[in-house]
Amino acid sequence: MNISPDEAEEALAAIQKVTDKTRRSIAGSGAYIFLIVTGIVWLVGFLSTQFLTGEIVAYIWIGISLLGTALSIPVGIRMGKRVRSPSFGPTAKRATIFWLLLAFYAVAVIAVAQPAEGKQVTMFVILFIMLGQLAMGLILSFSTTWWALPITALALTGYFLLPDFFYLWMGVLVGGGMIAFGLYIRLRW
Amino acid sequence: MPDLNETIHQPVRLKIMAALVALDSGNEVDFTYLRGLLEVTNGNLGAHLRKLEEAGYITVNKTFVDRKPRTYVSATPAGREVFREHVAALESILKRK
Repeated sequence: MNISPDEAEEALAAIQKVTDKTRRSIAGSGAYIFLIVTGIVWLVGFLSTQFLTGEIVAYIWIGISLLGTALSIPVGIRMGKRVRSPSFGPTAKRATIFWLLLAFYAVAVIAVAQPAEGKQVTMFVILFIMLGQLAMGLILSFSTTWWALPITALALTGYFLLPDFFYLWMGVLVGGGMIAFGLYIRLRW
Repeated sequence: MPDLNETIHQPVRLKIMAALVALDSGNEVDFTYLRGLLEVTNGNLGAHLRKLEEAGYITVNKTFVDRKPRTYVSATPAGREVFREHVAALESILKRK
């Protein structure tokens, strides 16, 4: 079989286009919903922490976190139906154990350090969640790894430079940023 | 120099193989999802999948999910190897330009 260099170039371009589209589609189709849902949870939760006081704040966090989890589960199931991995079962089991152990370590660290205020507890929790996200991304898929780094950087910036507006910062900039990025993936990617 | 593969070089089959090889090894993709990704019709995709399956380049797995029939497609190790060789052949032709 013989083809010209121009035909070879066209074929390689077609291959590259489909490869890129497949990777973007698989990485982006579920990610944008997780980003938007998490962003809404953080936006509502942190704004209520900034502006409200008392037990109502805890109830808001519990309520929106449960709602966010409930919304994310069908997305995960739908994604699992599109692309199946024979190794996903054992991997999912290991990932679940990892997150449970990480939660245990986070509670242990907070118990030992005994943070003096809510902002410190929040930063501990965010740092552990982002550490877990980085670890999962490095093990499972590089495409979901990088966004944990800017969120960590933004959280640390707010904590050290704007302590009085930390929760507002976290809600609007980080939560809002996640929503905006999720919408960007949905509309433009 | 690696040879071009006539089975794979057909435009739709080339796109099918490119999409399947882009997945991690062993992963399989839903037929409906693949059809949307490649923007082809049911019949067209089905016909080309049969050709690739006959050549041993892909595996078609018909199963039930939530009691609904679903078809999953994945590239075989042989299919991945042949596709790599085909791409290498294309690149070597391009170098002659």
